[in-house]
Amino acid sequence: MGQLYVEGWAPEYGSPFEADESLVDHDKVDESVEVDGPWTPLSGSDDGTGQIAFVDGVRRIDARLTIDAPEGPTPGICGSYGVGAVIWDRVEGRSHYTDLRVERLAVFGNGVGAPVPSAGPIVYRSVSIPDADPGMLIKRFHGAMRKAEANLSEQLAQSGLFVIADGPINDLSATEKVGYVKSHRAPYLSPQNAPIIGRLRMGERTPLFVIGRGGQYERYSWYQRLADLPDAHSWTGIVRCEVSSALPRSAAATIADRTAGVLPLVASQGHVDPRAPQNLVPIAALEKQLRRLLGDRAFVYRALRTAVATAAVEA
Amino acid sequence: MTDNDTPNGVGRVLGTEHTSTREFRVVLDDAEYLQLDDLVVVRTQVPKQGEVRTYGIVTEVAAIYEGASFESDTHRIAVDGTLPGAKVRSAEIAITRVDPELWVSPDPGEKVERARGAEREKALYVDEMGRPLPIGLGRDGEPVFVDLDFFDGRKGGHMSISGISGVATKTSFALFFLRLLAARPDVLGEGAANLRILVFNVKGEDLLWLDKGNRYFDQTAADAWQTLGVAPGPFPSVSFWAPPRAQSGDVVIPDTGGRQEGVDAFTWTPREFIEDGLLRFLFTDATDSRNQIPFIEERVRAQLRRYAVDVEGRPGAVVLRDPIEGHAPGAAVVPNPGERVITDLRTLVSAVEEFVDPEDGEPDQRWTGRVQAGTVSAFVRRLHSASHRLGHLVRAGDSRRIDRMAAQVTVVAIQSLHDLGQRFVVGALLAETFAEKEQTGQRLPLSVIVLDELNKYAPREGNSPLKEMLIDIAQRGRSLGVLLVGAQQTASRVASEVMENAAIRVAGRLDAAEAERSEYGWMLPSTRARARLLKPGTMVLSQPSLPVPLVVEFPFPPWATRKEEVDTSATDPFAGL
Repeated sequence: MGQLYVEGWAPEYGSPFEADESLVDHDKVDESVEVDGPWTPLSGSDDGTGQIAFVDGVRRIDARLTIDAPEGPTPGICGSYGVGAVIWDRVEGRSHYTDLRVERLAVFGNGVGAPVPSAGPIVYRSVSIPDADPGMLIKRFHGAMRKAEANLSEQLAQSGLFVIADGPINDLSATEKVGYVKSHRAPYLSPQNAPIIGRLRMGERTPLFVIGRGGQYERYSWYQRLADLPDAHSWTGIVRCEVSSALPRSAAATIADRTAGVLPLVASQGHVDPRAPQNLVPIAALEKQLRRLLGDRAFVYRALRTAVATAAVEA
Repeated sequence: MTDNDTPNGVGRVLGTEHTSTREFRVVLDDAEYLQLDDLVVVRTQVPKQGEVRTYGIVTEVAAIYEGASFESDTHRIAVDGTLPGAKVRSAEIAITRVDPELWVSPDPGEKVERARGAEREKALYVDEMGRPLPIGLGRDGEPVFVDLDFFDGRKGGHMSISGISGVATKTSFALFFLRLLAARPDVLGEGAANLRILVFNVKGEDLLWLDKGNRYFDQTAADAWQTLGVAPGPFPSVSFWAPPRAQSGDVVIPDTGGRQEGVDAFTWTPREFIEDGLLRFLFTDATDSRNQIPFIEERVRAQLRRYAVDVEGRPGAVVLRDPIEGHAPGAAVVPNPGERVITDLRTLVSAVEEFVDPEDGEPDQRWTGRVQAGTVSAFVRRLHSASHRLGHLVRAGDSRRIDRMAAQVTVVAIQSLHDLGQRFVVGALLAETFAEKEQTGQRLPLSVIVLDELNKYAPREGNSPLKEMLIDIAQRGRSLGVLLVGAQQTASRVASEVMENAAIRVAGRLDAAEAERSEYGWMLPSTRARARLLKPGTMVLSQPSLPVPLVVEFPFPPWATRKEEVDTSATDPFAGL
């Protein structure tokens, strides 16, 4: 029986460690891609990359919708999401926002669509999916945001920036973008290599391993530690990063070294962020800024109701 | 953020706080700035009414990192650069005017512009002033105006100047103001003719050089004077008066240190002393009124007037004779052998003593009334003390009283006198000035009186003939054209009737505790905070025509304020300016 710890994250965010072994196909994890044999921690190195872009998105369900038709009601949701990036200019010692964008999307089920009346500047694009399960509606909405994030990451990476994108990577082109995963739903490592996590110090990483070997979503991944926190369990301050396996292995290793060396510099502190240290300072600021741009929730909701009611009267 | 599409635009009305009819905030454009006292204008479209312009003055400016929520974020933004954050600067505006007068608040997000030219004048109500006189320069280097209608008695009168000694430059400001007043007959109008200014020099000899150029006067100061519309120069018409040196025998020499030339000594003859009822100004200590002394003083004053008879061949001297003897007014008599001739204060006191407290016999009740013996003694004791301290101010001979008509500015140097003597001279001159105007009942010509340390002459606590006189001037002087420019360290120690009647209020640097008092309620909270830090040459000015106080700077004086400053070069020091 192991030792008991209280998680550092505020309870409403879940736990940074939520193991769900069933999701991992261990047959497709290759731990020998960088180091063949027993693993030891590798030191990261800050190679002084001048500009780093952090990409993230936020989303919010604004309202649930129903299309009332004689053949039966059709469920729908509408929501807003924002994506954008913070560019950390390490030469200037400044950070700034870029490409902040807000999209509003209505998703209907049963393959039925209906335009949502626009309420001033609040305009929803309307789509439909064959399913009517509310979870699927949200998944479609979430997917739209993830797609927008991936597009932005790719665009910034192609412009020559080193990109850290919140969440797993979607676009597996051979550009320098790192997927940054804060919470660990699946332990990828084999039992013989897993104990290395406890031996990682701040700025160190595990050797690379491949996830989804041979599949459509094949990528390089590694674990690294953001901060040495006293009195905490071994997974505290651990994040998992990934890059596309379309990159050469040596390039992936360089990126992993750099990421392990640089990210501790932007790790958040416990008294400042409830998801410290994994919630990076630029990403936390970006999320706050994006939420603000989504507009006041009550205002959006009221405007939408008014617009729908007005449209109904006019019809 | 920058959206500067007009040359005067500086920012936008802040939308995260309510605007009101009293104040609002401006978020500044990146390429613009506002400093304290800058004037701005906002145009707001009001439904059914059209455009309303809101004018205001900057009372505070601020800057913050937007995006920083913890204090340590400052480092993350400014040093590490890991947190995106932007500097945001804003300014607080106190509204001075809404035009047309429709009291609505300015709309958030509206463009804020610097008020320049005609807009600046509107912000400062110059367009509504009857007679705007420049009274200093704003921080923008442009003149700030005061409405003379509120000084010369048309709509209000008097000026009150407060501030701690040394750095508040109260007297300097008063003189600066008077110099402008006298130099701008085009603004002052009919009041400029025969304008008379009476100034008391109560400390040092600062004011004895008003007619001399200042050798440290430079081009910057000259430019400032030109901006105010006045050719810089010392006061053109000044007469200087000082009490005679005590114990100087028969020779009358003015009691001044640095300057004798052009200074006249003044005295009153016993006849003038009695005629003008100056006896009351020997009892100006605020504690004197708590006993019965005023009763006996009043009685003696009246009796002296009835009894005094001029002496043949001795101008100004009198003898006291019972009116029953029937002397015609203006008659002169030859004194009887052994009869006491009153030639100075000492002999006057002895003569009075013979009636009220004779060495042999009972006091004459016609002179004492029914006051108790103790009161009589106290009265006599004070008379003796006064005789000792200011006896040299009363002497027989040709009249040497101060001629206030001799020059536009009359400087009376009383710094060498004991407090009692200072109060006596001030009382005598105020009474004289006021009585003259009361007789004519006319507001014109204007008579301005400058009095520093007002708290000494009209203290809040107690009563004295001098305080009553000053209250009278404060209350009725404006209709009689007697205008008081009073100065004091602490307004809270001056009789409230005097303070309340001053339409124009000015403050230099104030003591921190003093600034919080209700006497300075006319200041905005931000102005109060600033009043603790004002530099010499900077004053806060409040006038009825403007709802907020203004901070003004006044230029270096072209006249000398010390002997060392006197420009002794033969050429006209102002020729080149």
